[in-house]
Amino acid sequence: MEAPSLLTLVIAAFITALGCFTDITRRTIMLLSIQAIAIGSATLARCLIDLVIGLNIEALIHFFAAFAEWFSAAVVAPLILYWGVTKTENIADKPLIEARKLATLIISISILYILWILQSQMLREGRIITLSFCILMFSFSTLLMITRRDAFKILAGLNMAENSLFPLLAEIPITLVPFILTLMIFVTAMGTYVIIEAYRDHGTILVDRWRWLKE
Amino acid sequence: MEVAERIMYSLLPLLTLIVPLFTGILCLFTCLFKFLEEFSRKTAKMLLLISAVLSLATPLAMIPYCVIGEVLETTGLGLRADSSNIAALVSTAILFLLVSIYNMSAEKGGRLKPGVYNFFLLLFLCCMFGLLLSYDLFGIFLFVEMVIGVSIILVAHNPIKDSTEAAFKYLIITAISALFVLIGVLTIYVLTGESNILHLLGNIEKRMILAENPPLLMFIVACFIVGLGADIGLAPFHGWLPDTLPASTIIINGFTAIEPIPLILALYRLVAPLYEIYPSSIIVALMLGTGLVSIIFGALMAYSQRDFFRMFAYCSIDEYGHSLFALSLLSPSDSQIFIIGQFYLINSTLAKTGLILSLGSVYFNTGGSNMDFLGGLLEKMNKTALSYIVCALSIIGIPPMSGFYAKLLLINASYKFFYDYGNSIIASLIIALLICIAVISCVILIRSFHKIFLGKSRVNIDVKGDVPILMWLPTILLAMATIIIGVHPDLLIRFIGYTRFG
Repeated sequence: MEAPSLLTLVIAAFITALGCFTDITRRTIMLLSIQAIAIGSATLARCLIDLVIGLNIEALIHFFAAFAEWFSAAVVAPLILYWGVTKTENIADKPLIEARKLATLIISISILYILWILQSQMLREGRIITLSFCILMFSFSTLLMITRRDAFKILAGLNMAENSLFPLLAEIPITLVPFILTLMIFVTAMGTYVIIEAYRDHGTILVDRWRWLKE
Repeated sequence: MEVAERIMYSLLPLLTLIVPLFTGILCLFTCLFKFLEEFSRKTAKMLLLISAVLSLATPLAMIPYCVIGEVLETTGLGLRADSSNIAALVSTAILFLLVSIYNMSAEKGGRLKPGVYNFFLLLFLCCMFGLLLSYDLFGIFLFVEMVIGVSIILVAHNPIKDSTEAAFKYLIITAISALFVLIGVLTIYVLTGESNILHLLGNIEKRMILAENPPLLMFIVACFIVGLGADIGLAPFHGWLPDTLPASTIIINGFTAIEPIPLILALYRLVAPLYEIYPSSIIVALMLGTGLVSIIFGALMAYSQRDFFRMFAYCSIDEYGHSLFALSLLSPSDSQIFIIGQFYLINSTLAKTGLILSLGSVYFNTGGSNMDFLGGLLEKMNKTALSYIVCALSIIGIPPMSGFYAKLLLINASYKFFYDYGNSIIASLIIALLICIAVISCVILIRSFHKIFLGKSRVNIDVKGDVPILMWLPTILLAMATIIIGVHPDLLIRFIGYTRFG
């Protein structure tokens, strides 16, 4: 595996972990955008170099596909969420787990993954190392989702989980890229729509208050 | 001439998707322009019904070819209609049509405009068809995600406070689960470079890549079970299901009752080829375990419910468990399991749709779903009561309903499987468990019938008569279908065939 790709994956995993500690909704969305930029930058840079060296249509198509992935994850999805926050509220809430415990949990998960990568025979191949990083980021994103009460932070966590699979999505047939991207944007837009409607009904975006108000 | 005819027929699977999608887009257009708004409002229900009829035409047109063993394949898109999915396609289309008839009188409007509502319903049908027809891993993932996405919007359509909360819960659980499916799909694709299931199984080199890496193969199977298990509503990934049923409109409950047919068959289509590549007992254990947990959990949880929608949700988990259990009795030599599993799944969905529509009718007339406050509706809602009890008896497995034959086949296959791969004690214990669960289901459903339709209501409910004809007719038709299939199971079984993967 190339060093720049590995470095971007490490940075992206670190940003995802950082997302678990943010308190303001807008900051979580900003981290989502930065995570997507970090994940996509290596692929995008590789495609750009291919385009400059090769100067052929195939390289151009690949560059556009990578750019579309990067743009939708780093710009479109965060913008949809940001728009949702402007329509509702930008709140500050702390994670349900104490920060120190959360940090211990994240470090433990990271150590377990590193051990897994080093131990396992099947993970010698570069592509599979990418897979294990994807799973690591996916775990952090899931942690972010389950430790939050703010609906937009949960949705941002979901987007981070989706972004964590982007290194693998680079391998899919080019014809499928538009469908996958549309689907991911559709899920974000749908989630934002549901939260805005819920905010209209309940007057808050804290999910536990939805249940509490009902009871 | 023959070549042209062949090309035409190969386009039928694609046409099956295009018809509901195109009519759905037409419905969407009617609400985009202001001058068409009034027209859209007045004709929306009729347009949906016409679209449902048109959408049924293509699966019906494919029956003669699929029954004689022909394969209609739209190459390049991985869409394929054959004897293994034609019964499910036709059942899905018929059930959609019946719920559309029910919709004519039951729909009272909600958050979505009529045209948009119709568009999403028809998109939902298109995606269910796609899921049944697709043999491409990415195609299956896309259709799964779309089916779930559209269901979430339809749940949020109900203009009550609970719907948004339920929709959000549904969204988060199923969106995470969809990512598990994507991880599984991507892992296969990254390793083999192939996304078509049939091509993958036809290529020995690619099969070997997966077969030589059993831990990764198990990881992929686990991803598929967790991912699709949550989308279906199998225990322990069912968190969203008991909340979404009471929060959705009665019609959406009818439409989403059809969803398990494509979703459970998609899970089978993803896992069975992996079992064929590497016939490990762990794969069977994972599938059977999920099925058994759902059966036991669903039946036990349904017992304590007072809200009939929640009771139905847990009964559904129990039934999904049964269907998965039947399809999980994987054996390299026995092709009958797929036929039995699919027969069980279609029957169960048929009866469950009848049951939920009957419960919807009760809710429509009384405005409540708490069984403690209901009672004595038999006299005034006799047709609804009749359809409810017939569908309930079918789910329990009482002859001559179709559920009896389905349960008999399931018990027979289970005994044979556990006897062959275990011993007679394990086989007997499994049969005893299945019978016990059937008894619990019997108690739950008969008690619910008693509480809703017999005795006297604790509060004064003003019910003037049964629901309109367009609401009771589909439920009666579904009840009749369970009896007809129960008397002549051959009517359905002969349409279900088995296509060996690879």
